[in-house]
Amino acid sequence: MVIKEILMAVGIPLLAFSIGIVLMMFKRKIIARIQRRYGPNFVQPLIDIFKLLSKKGNITHGVMYDLGPIIALAASIVVVFFIPIPGMKLMTGSADIIALLYIMVIGSLAMALGAGESANPNSSIGIARALTLMLGYDLPFVIVIITLVLKYHTTNLYVITQMQASSGWAMWFLPLSAIAGIIVTYGALGEHPFDVAVAPHEVATGPMAEYGGKHLGLLMINHAFHIYIELALFVDLFMGGASNIFYFFAKMFVIFVLLIFFDEVLPRFRVDDAVRFYWRWPTILALLGLIIVLVK
Amino acid sequence: MNMSLGILLATPFVGGILAYLGGKIHRWVRYTFAILFSVLTFCELFFYYGVESANLTWGKLFGSLLVLRLNHLSWLFAFIVTGISMLVVIFSVNDMEEHKGLDFYYLELLFVEGAMLGIVLAGDLITFFMFWEMMSWTSYILVIQNGEMSIKAGYKYIIMSIIGAYSMLVSLGMVFGEAHSLVFSNVSKALAKSSPGFVIAFFILFGIGLLVKAAIMPLHTWLPDAHSEAPSPVSPLLSGVLIKMGAYGLFILFYGLLSVQLLGKLMPTVLSVPLILYIIQWLAAISIVLATFLAILQEDAKRLLAYSSISQIGYVVLGIAAGTSLGIAGGLFHALNHAIFKSLLFFTIGAVIYRTGTRNMSELGGLIKKMPITFTGALIGIVALSGVPPLNGFVSKWMIYEALLQKKEVFLLIFAFVGSTGAFLYLYRFIHSVFLGSLPKKYENVREVPFLMQIPIWILSILAILFGVFPGIAMNVISKAESFFGITPVKYDLYGFPQGSGMGALKVVNISSVLIIAFIIVLVFFYMLPRSKRVSQYDTYAAGQIVTPETKYNYSYGFYMSFGRVVDPIFKWSADKLYTAWSRALKVSGDYMRRVYTGNLETYSSYIVVILTIVAFVILLGGRLW
Repeated sequence: MVIKEILMAVGIPLLAFSIGIVLMMFKRKIIARIQRRYGPNFVQPLIDIFKLLSKKGNITHGVMYDLGPIIALAASIVVVFFIPIPGMKLMTGSADIIALLYIMVIGSLAMALGAGESANPNSSIGIARALTLMLGYDLPFVIVIITLVLKYHTTNLYVITQMQASSGWAMWFLPLSAIAGIIVTYGALGEHPFDVAVAPHEVATGPMAEYGGKHLGLLMINHAFHIYIELALFVDLFMGGASNIFYFFAKMFVIFVLLIFFDEVLPRFRVDDAVRFYWRWPTILALLGLIIVLVK
Repeated sequence: MNMSLGILLATPFVGGILAYLGGKIHRWVRYTFAILFSVLTFCELFFYYGVESANLTWGKLFGSLLVLRLNHLSWLFAFIVTGISMLVVIFSVNDMEEHKGLDFYYLELLFVEGAMLGIVLAGDLITFFMFWEMMSWTSYILVIQNGEMSIKAGYKYIIMSIIGAYSMLVSLGMVFGEAHSLVFSNVSKALAKSSPGFVIAFFILFGIGLLVKAAIMPLHTWLPDAHSEAPSPVSPLLSGVLIKMGAYGLFILFYGLLSVQLLGKLMPTVLSVPLILYIIQWLAAISIVLATFLAILQEDAKRLLAYSSISQIGYVVLGIAAGTSLGIAGGLFHALNHAIFKSLLFFTIGAVIYRTGTRNMSELGGLIKKMPITFTGALIGIVALSGVPPLNGFVSKWMIYEALLQKKEVFLLIFAFVGSTGAFLYLYRFIHSVFLGSLPKKYENVREVPFLMQIPIWILSILAILFGVFPGIAMNVISKAESFFGITPVKYDLYGFPQGSGMGALKVVNISSVLIIAFIIVLVFFYMLPRSKRVSQYDTYAAGQIVTPETKYNYSYGFYMSFGRVVDPIFKWSADKLYTAWSRALKVSGDYMRRVYTGNLETYSSYIVVILTIVAFVILLGGRLW
């Protein structure tokens, strides 16, 4: 019993990381093909991580600068345990979806604090933008979450997933909320047109401007987890989880490819326009979805 | 037993007077008395831990008994009052050194503590009102210690407090005519029998007095000025404790004097909340969001925290007015938590002001390297306030969210969520501009604050973690307080909450232990990788520029300017502008009045002649005057 739990504790973050990294690999390939390039080696993201982790020329700006990526990665690993995967409810009994919303913030907050200590104005601007954008997409996101909670009469993410498995995907019953949800996922992943925080041409990759070497390696691992978390959450919320891990991956893959298609052809919002956009269209869609559930 | 309730209440007053007299002998006599008596009050309170109820009749006025009484709810608030006051006294010793009139300052400080203790121990409305007024006046004197600006801020504060107090006094008169006694139990009996109009009038008049102190919009305008202009050690007392008295009063009004059942019978209900409570919930929700947006746009660190207080007290009122067991417990817990983390944040900014002399965030920066302990305190404070696990603010906010979900008050819930996300923005701004970013050259010799000033920061940080990981400790008192007022308490255990009807389970200890394990693993992994070299803050990427102390880049002023552009249209309107316009209109009409009342004897005598002529004329023409 104990051995099984230990295996799970090690295996589930590894699984999440592999899904995230494989999706990152596909992303680079697909983008290259859209741009009519051949693209890099398929396993290039993994090679990049190893390269960064083994660099000898690391710099540090202080304790918080080091702790930023460390806590960010640790928090991402923790979040993975609160998002149910096929057949396992993991730790969803310890924290419901409302609590999960706040557990998901730990990593971003730590990352922001770490980047803040680097004393680079690009980082500070990047974080100011990221947080402003977060306030933007949080409004439709919480409305979507509330809609789902009201529809399924529970705040337990595992139960929400299970009920969809038996009665059909929430996506079909609540298409408006699902559209709002997917637009929010764009913002949460920082894809175009919401890549205001990273914006390489404006603020030199923002929060990451000063990071390099092993710090950046940890942040890349964290990014793989981040992709997994956002997509898995969407699949659990709207696509009823999956019966086994391959379907789970397939669903995530479909959403991700859809994301990349839009990501690749859209330009970038100015940050206040991004907030205005989020407070307008996705919010209206989400509110309509909420009203539909409330009236029914 | 009975007498010692009086002793408990008298302790801070005696301490204040002794500190005042002792200061005439030597300053250390003053400090000793002030610290000794504030610690003594706190310790005396622990003799009452778990006491179901204690009463003391201490006088009689207009035929109404004056009663002191203590129950679990008073104990909880008395804990906040005496605990924070004790830390404030300790913090003041170093912080206020340079200040003039210190004897009087400590006298006032301990009198404010005594007055607030009196409010929570009051068993009748006369005692409540007396101590309420005493709190207003003594805290007013504390606010105006800091020169020109603070006198202006204090003026606003006391005007609004007086308006609130008169409104409260009228309601007291009303209910005295009905009940002939102002002891809480008699008042509630009388109100249960009164007409709906009477109850609603009483509710509104009494409520205005409380809402002014709780700084719920639109009655909040005094708070940002008073809390930011007050001396550094007084701000934690105002923000952490004083505004909680409003929340305490609201609890007594809703569930002590009235009850949800009674209000529900008198008026229509919305989502099974009586209409008037629902309106208060909406006021609280609007305060949450607007105050959060205002806090995001501040440049002054203490003003930022003051606006944040308005928004956080909004959560407390939102919870208390929800009328359900979970909501009330969440509101009370948040009151306790807010006292802890907001006082902590005000102490840290007080420490920064002590060393640097400014609270303007764009002038600060990089202090993490100079004041690591203060930084740690501020970090714990912001994590707790932003409601991120595993610290205390998370648990209470979570309870309030779940309570709103239980009642399906979804639109209020959306407001609460947005306010909480907005909190990340201003809190990050606070810690970034003060402690992170680049260190200005003039602060290169700044040191950590003296040990006496670190004590409050240490204690409050530990409490923030303790109540976060083990919410059961605080829930123990809160659930007893709830059952004392006839509300079925929420199920809880030491580590969190079990699955209940319409609410999910929460085990904070599981979240935090997983977090710690993951953190240790990543930390070990990180230190196994090649070591990194420490570089200076000028060794950064600046697109080919060379950054030097003279030409350094820093992003600190107007941090959320682009967000400001989004919300600008909202803030063309403000309650403050409305009140200013109203006072200007009063002044203009006063000017016209002054043209008539010149103060000149000849003018007055000519008025008399004119009036007499008119009267004589009317009578001569055969008319009648009355």
